[in-house]
Amino acid sequence: MAEKMELKEVEVWDGNYAASQALRQAQVDVVAAYPITPSTPIVENYGAYVANGYVDGEFVMVESEHAAMSGCVGAAAAGGRVATATSSQGFALMVEVLYQASGMRLPIVMTVVNRALASPLNVRGDHSDMYLGRDSGWIQLDAFNAQEAYDLTLCAFKIGEDLRVRLPVMVHQDGFLTSHTAQNVHTLSDDEAYKFVGDYKPHEEMLDFSKPVTYGAQTEEDWHFEHKAKQHKALIESREVIEEVFAEFKKLTGREYKRVESYMMDDAEVAIVALGTTVETARVAAQQLREEGVKAGVVAPRVFRPFPFDDIRDALENTKAIAVLDRSAPMGAMGALFNEVSAALYTTPNRPLVTNFIYGLGGRDFSVEEAKRIFKEQKAHADAGYITTPIQQFSGVRGPKLGFFETKRGK
Amino acid sequence: MSRGVLATEKRGVRELGAEEFVGWDEVQQGVVLPSFNSELKENVSHIRPEERDYSDFNSYTATVASWRVIKPVYNRDICIDCQNCWVWCPDTSIISRDKQMLGIDYDHCKGCGVCVEVCPTNPKSLLMFAEAEEIDEALAKWPEKKKKENK
Amino acid sequence: MAITNIKNLKEFSTVNERFEGAHLLCPGCAHSMIVRELMNATDDNLVIATNTGCLEVSTAVYPYTSWDTSWIHIGFENAATAVAGAEAMYKARKRKGTLKDPDAPVKFVAFGGDGSTYDIGFQWLSGAVERGHDFTYICLDNENYANTGGQRSSATPTGAHTSTAQAGRVSYGKKQKKKDLVAIMAAHGAPYVAQLSPNKWKSMAKGFQKALETEGPCFINTVSACTTEWKFDPKDTIHITDLATDSLMFPIYEIINGTELNILYRPKNIIPVEEYLAAQGRYKHLFKPENRHIIEQIQKEVDEKWEYLQRREEARV
Repeated sequence: MAEKMELKEVEVWDGNYAASQALRQAQVDVVAAYPITPSTPIVENYGAYVANGYVDGEFVMVESEHAAMSGCVGAAAAGGRVATATSSQGFALMVEVLYQASGMRLPIVMTVVNRALASPLNVRGDHSDMYLGRDSGWIQLDAFNAQEAYDLTLCAFKIGEDLRVRLPVMVHQDGFLTSHTAQNVHTLSDDEAYKFVGDYKPHEEMLDFSKPVTYGAQTEEDWHFEHKAKQHKALIESREVIEEVFAEFKKLTGREYKRVESYMMDDAEVAIVALGTTVETARVAAQQLREEGVKAGVVAPRVFRPFPFDDIRDALENTKAIAVLDRSAPMGAMGALFNEVSAALYTTPNRPLVTNFIYGLGGRDFSVEEAKRIFKEQKAHADAGYITTPIQQFSGVRGPKLGFFETKRGK
Repeated sequence: MSRGVLATEKRGVRELGAEEFVGWDEVQQGVVLPSFNSELKENVSHIRPEERDYSDFNSYTATVASWRVIKPVYNRDICIDCQNCWVWCPDTSIISRDKQMLGIDYDHCKGCGVCVEVCPTNPKSLLMFAEAEEIDEALAKWPEKKKKENK
Repeated sequence: MAITNIKNLKEFSTVNERFEGAHLLCPGCAHSMIVRELMNATDDNLVIATNTGCLEVSTAVYPYTSWDTSWIHIGFENAATAVAGAEAMYKARKRKGTLKDPDAPVKFVAFGGDGSTYDIGFQWLSGAVERGHDFTYICLDNENYANTGGQRSSATPTGAHTSTAQAGRVSYGKKQKKKDLVAIMAAHGAPYVAQLSPNKWKSMAKGFQKALETEGPCFINTVSACTTEWKFDPKDTIHITDLATDSLMFPIYEIINGTELNILYRPKNIIPVEEYLAAQGRYKHLFKPENRHIIEQIQKEVDEKWEYLQRREEARV
């Protein structure tokens, strides 16, 4: 039996430590991992738990991230709880196997500490890796601070392992800003946390020899489409279970999570939509602007996949102008979050004005002042009744102003 | 062609590609295929194939007989049960039980001819014939023992 | 009993097969001879991982599986890691008491072709062996990427024609030597490493049993004659394999703990490699006058390798 760890009701943890504690408390059977900045401490912390008897499961330090996810898939198919952690290039190396994990419906939990993708090489936080995973068939939860990294990692097991879902889950947090920033974190005791997550329920496991199963069969044009359709439906319909798990978590802790988080949106005229730590920056900016009389609000997808098309629409349909912030180089298109939010809003009667900001790449700071400036720009669009700037703009980049595409509405 | 020896009624009943093409709501979650219908009561290697409850997903239930243009015919009268054909058959198509060669699984045999090549008897106890050849007629045409060639 | 009686073929043939027919491997393919023999060499439960390749695309095409055991395929390169993950899960669940049948004996096996073993999956194999997982990796070495139409791999021997190292007006086929993966795996310190061949069924079955019974990572390279890409008649698979082992193109030997080398088959009459080469279409260009020197070179290298193996065996180092 693993040793229990006595935790204080409030601990001072950074995001990495919070995530690693959640993995420990979930009593994961197999962690197969490979360290990479900035998620390395998750793996190191877990190694310390192993070395000191706090973990009963196996800790497999593999030779690459691709192998980490491969080991996770093999382990998960063998019928137990599985988790890993990664970032950036490591995430990119895993991509092939991410699709295999979801296609085989294996509920692996991966804590992803978001970081930019080379080239040029960069270890700081942006959302390039998170975006790279967006078509991989995983549920993607986004934590904005260390507390949420802890809470959502516990929720992730319960969501993914639910037999109605059986899908792998990523829990994202921002590199360094969350992963390396120590904050107060309210904890659950080991018993409470494990009771919440629950025992793993083996399903079609390779170690039940009374029911041999084949994993990873091939399908061509006569079968592939049906399997992908079924998988997509499962991901879309995981919304219900996600909400159930969040409700149960609230009952236990008082901390409430929603698929889309809204701040000061009841009467908001202008809004920022963002992910990660930027949400908190935008909230501070909105509060300050409220004192200046600007009806500003913030909307943040807590669940990036399945994309909350429904709740995003509900949260934003009555605003006049919205800035959608993408912390990933869009490379020849509008930002992905912009596209998805815009598509949702296109189905509303109001069709608010939506612009796109590319910001914070490679860990570039995003300030409250800049958030306020963006809000004010939205206010200008709202007052004019059309988009007065290029639709896509770069925020915080040096050099001449960089923006693309003009509106064809209004003027 | 008859089912041949020790076939359960599910062996080789479907041509590959002739299965029912069900919709997205009926395909296997996670593309996971169970080998058997019911829970095995003991280790599968202790259950004879003819006593297994194969699932429809098991290729045991499919046939590749149409791949063949020539087929091996087995002559029990000459066979010494050496099991060379059994060990080297790439298609699990030599049916042996209790140390005896019983015959050929024509649902799964692809007609490669390896069994004939490795048969050590004189004349051989397995020979290749045209697929259309009746077994009785093939047996009637069996060659005589060959004399050792003088070197 | 974990081990099947393989004293003689009659005894061996009493096992109950766990590899089913109506898979899609070519008629006369040696892959399935080898896989059947592995699965028949033990009656333990098996968890098998398979890399992408001929074996995988022929035995698990939806909605069919030819496997009566637990089986998984992930990608081209990672069967060693997939089975290592399953083995880690087995250990964890055994410790925690969550296995359905904790006393059921189980062995972990990975299969890969030479493309996935020598080339694209080499890192995954090396990593899994270094970590010491308790599994057996079996390479089905047909010396080319047969599944995709016969491209060269680092297991393709000198002089062979493949679609990406072609024989032509100014080329005699592959110019590089075959990678000595057996030596590399032995250098990992794996407790049991061997090169085995299906024509020598008994030494192959014994080697499989040794690997399965040995705790820790074991590696076996098996000779898998490829009727399609080596270009010979499907009925001749065993005949060609006999030529391979009797010409010493494929010496049969084991290496225990990285040092103790035992030769498992000594041909009574060693045949010239020319006979082996002449029996396959992939080498036919070597018999042109301008390429004859390649045959001589191959023979020289085979002789040197045989000499080396014998001296290693004698030296016990």
